[in-house]
Amino acid sequence: MKVSKWSERLFGTPLFEPLVSFSYLFPLLYIVVFLIVPVLAMLAIAFRHEGHFSLYWFKSILTSSYYVQFPPRGDFAIKTVTATGETVYLIRGIDFGVVINSLVVAALVTLLASLMGTIFAFIMARYDFRGKNFFRIALFIPLLVTPFVNAYVIKKMFLDTGLINYIFYELLHILPFRIKIDGLAGVVLAQAMTYYPIVYLNAYASFINIDPTLEEQAENLGSKGFHLFRTVTFPLALPGIAAGATLVFIFSLEDLAAPIVFQGDPLAKKLMSYQIFSKFLYGLGERSPEIAALSILMLTLAVLAFLGIRKYVSLRQYAMLSKGGRWKPRVSKPRPWQAAIIYVVLLPLLLFTIFPQIGVVLLAFSKQWSVTVMPQGFTTEYVKQMLFNPDVRRYIINSLMYSAAAVVLIILLSVTSSYATSRFKGILTPVLESLVIIPIAVPGIVVAMGYFYFFSQVFPDTPLDPTNIFNFNPAFVLILAYSIRRLPFSARSVYAGLQQVHVSLEEASMNLGASRWKTITGILLPLISLNVFGGAMLSFVYSMSETSVGITLGSLNMQYAPITAFMKDIMMSAAGSAQLAAALGVLLITVQILSIVLVNIITKQRYAFIGLT
Amino acid sequence: MRKLVEVKLENIVKTFGETVALKGIDLHIKHGELFTLLGPSGCGKSTTLRIIAGLDFPDSGRIFFDDQEVTYLSSSERGAVLVFQNYALWPHMTVYDNIAYGLKIRKLPKEEIERKVKWALQLVKLEGFEDRYPTQLSGGQQQRVAIARAIVVEPKLLLLDEPLSNLDAKLRLEMRSEIRRIQRELGITVLYVTHDQEEAMAISDRIAVMNVGTVEQIGTPREIYEKPKTEFVASFMGKTNVIPAKVVERHGDKVTVEFEHFRLEGLTYTDKSDKVVIVIRPERISLHPIENAVKLEGKVDLIEYYGFFIEVVGMFGETRIIARTISDKDVMGLRPQGPVAFYINKDDILVLPKQL
Ligand SMILES: Nc1ncnc2c1ncn2[C@@H]1O[C@H](COP(=O)(O)OP(=O)(O)O)[C@@H](O)[C@H]1O
Ligand SMILES: [Mg+2]
Repeated sequence: MKVSKWSERLFGTPLFEPLVSFSYLFPLLYIVVFLIVPVLAMLAIAFRHEGHFSLYWFKSILTSSYYVQFPPRGDFAIKTVTATGETVYLIRGIDFGVVINSLVVAALVTLLASLMGTIFAFIMARYDFRGKNFFRIALFIPLLVTPFVNAYVIKKMFLDTGLINYIFYELLHILPFRIKIDGLAGVVLAQAMTYYPIVYLNAYASFINIDPTLEEQAENLGSKGFHLFRTVTFPLALPGIAAGATLVFIFSLEDLAAPIVFQGDPLAKKLMSYQIFSKFLYGLGERSPEIAALSILMLTLAVLAFLGIRKYVSLRQYAMLSKGGRWKPRVSKPRPWQAAIIYVVLLPLLLFTIFPQIGVVLLAFSKQWSVTVMPQGFTTEYVKQMLFNPDVRRYIINSLMYSAAAVVLIILLSVTSSYATSRFKGILTPVLESLVIIPIAVPGIVVAMGYFYFFSQVFPDTPLDPTNIFNFNPAFVLILAYSIRRLPFSARSVYAGLQQVHVSLEEASMNLGASRWKTITGILLPLISLNVFGGAMLSFVYSMSETSVGITLGSLNMQYAPITAFMKDIMMSAAGSAQLAAALGVLLITVQILSIVLVNIITKQRYAFIGLT
Repeated sequence: MRKLVEVKLENIVKTFGETVALKGIDLHIKHGELFTLLGPSGCGKSTTLRIIAGLDFPDSGRIFFDDQEVTYLSSSERGAVLVFQNYALWPHMTVYDNIAYGLKIRKLPKEEIERKVKWALQLVKLEGFEDRYPTQLSGGQQQRVAIARAIVVEPKLLLLDEPLSNLDAKLRLEMRSEIRRIQRELGITVLYVTHDQEEAMAISDRIAVMNVGTVEQIGTPREIYEKPKTEFVASFMGKTNVIPAKVVERHGDKVTVEFEHFRLEGLTYTDKSDKVVIVIRPERISLHPIENAVKLEGKVDLIEYYGFFIEVVGMFGETRIIARTISDKDVMGLRPQGPVAFYINKDDILVLPKQL
């Protein structure tokens, strides 16, 4: 009888059990040591100037017109005339300075993505129309991550000689002049096109989960059409939409791929993520306080957005009380004008947003893509290069190994943390619950910088020290970063599984004499194995395509670099091997599709990719 | 031979946040007895059971199995096996594996496990179902697997939490006698939980009636039914008349009580409180004159036919009193709003302090 007051208080069980303590303490310490401490350690650097505590770096950032620029500079669009006498409007956006630009871009992307995501979710949830299954599949396609190449194709689409001008200027004559989108405007478009399905998935789940009787009652009382949507449907779905929107906001803020691809236009470089990235690369080995300060600023913005939404969503957790009765989904045939919108507006929009992924595949098999609408010439050269060039293969193997190692850690972390938080109610329970999802709110580049300062400080002159130019081995650091950054996906899935297993199944086992270990391995794990599997696959897929840490710390020693660092290198180098990057993109797409299909077949459920609450 | 235990609970207190689930429970369950916790939903029966099983731990108080204190012994070491209300069968295991689980934990040889599982299946009359999965069984069958899984490990103490509540009425009666039969056959100590007084009466050696976290009375079914010690127990044990009244005269332990304009003399009552209820079972009220009886005159409010008995609801002033008879003759000549007389033997009138 090891009765322990501490165990009761901390873990919510009066009997001290090593396994329970481990379930709490392992994930807790892991996240504290490998996320909270490194990130907060940057505070010590950012708030220090000439040996004292000081706001110097923040002041210097926030008072510099490079970072904060009021009124904004530049013209939103510039009219130019080509040699052939055609008018081209170059749209780049205006410059508010780095910090404000980041906020404006993130806000615009969030707005666009929310609008598109919600509209698509609504028609998918409420209308039955021909081609709906195509919509359903197509809406997943933008979620297939192909770092850099994706944005590259989007950039090509919006060139003055690109697909958009071809269709709307040359073919349909809807545009009276050519347009070219570049700079911040290009970043906004690229991100909105990539991220809107995140809002779509969350919004769709919300629409589907609204008890139909709530809307029927409103109709019964005389509400209909847009009024019904505005007063009942939308408010009930808003928490889900907001959750998706927040993710988009954070993803936009931390995104590096789009700014790097659009960096030909200096305006695209004036974003916080890019600034941290480039200052880091060019000041190699330097523990710059300015970067730390910028990272802290960015982290603050992301965490504020995240906490704001959590608060809001938890305030609005409407319990959907359904008092029995039928649950017939409210699906109807669209009226003619609605059908017109679906086929004339939404279908083309959808096709444009899946074009990047199509473009990536085409590009991987083509000889070149300069100023034409589509890539030109067929070749398997780049796919062969990817498969047989030992250098390229090394990056692939690196990524596979790091991701696999990270997944092992992630499984351990998500099972222990979910077990602790779902089965026990100690004072550490809410702490651990928050810690497990907090990685969502920490931008990847901030993790990268935190690790940079942390490992160079704690392990100087070892292979773990990123400033140890030739001897640094990023493997360990990358595995840690992947395991932390992708933990929330898996933890959510495992937690959901645990919620579906009634505690009495475990109690019955222990009551019959089984130890806790035996109960977990013999009863619990078999029952949640599908959730563990689903979560692990998701984490694996997103580890493979992890960008921020991979292209910063991961590229410090190319011998051990992951695939994304290599893709960035070839995309940034002048002699365009965009095709090779595209081939790697195709590989990533293949891995993702295979995983998703496998998960869907094995677990027999559609896996929502990303959610927040 | 299996060792049966005697279970003692001393002043068990348990709170969940603000709710006080148990306010100091004392129980003494004897060897080989079928002991029932009876009470309305939410009164703390399951909590008591879980604390005895070692699945929850009390805030204070102690638990003894024989002379050994087990208050903080973990569930797996305690040997008090619980049959859960929802059966808690493992869906990924066959019936055989479910039942064999506890034996495998005890590292018994394979042949012995097989023999015992077979014996248990026989006992619950489920031979031939070894390879089914729980989802392929009916509610009653699942229930029997749950019982088999518990008894196969020869528990010191078998705990049953509302084992019949998920079954339909007919099956409930059947399983009720099954459980009694198994308990007798094995002679094990059983602690049984139910909210159904009829079930409790039918099955138990002794009953503890619980009410909001306290034990109100412990006794044999007959004692509880015939000599309830509190108003709550009286009203919980089946349909009964509970009539507010007050004590107007005392002579030692004999009192005179008054309700409406009726005066009842020479009733036995010892409590100090003058606010009382008188409790009369409907079946103890006669509709025809009997010897030494109190006669109450009122008018008929309702006559209800239940098939094998008839109830007459009489109005005595503002007070409704129900009488029950199995004789059609008794109700002949009665009609709604017409006069009626109830005859009650003084021994059948209980006076208890007012409680609720
Ligand atoms: N895990 C728990 N958390 C909070 N309150 C609980 C918990 N278990 C039981 N209770 C409360 O304790 C009281 C007794 O519950 P329980 O023992 O389940 O009653 P019974 O089994 O008699 O219906 C109830 O008020 C119930 O709400
Ligand atoms: Mg209960």
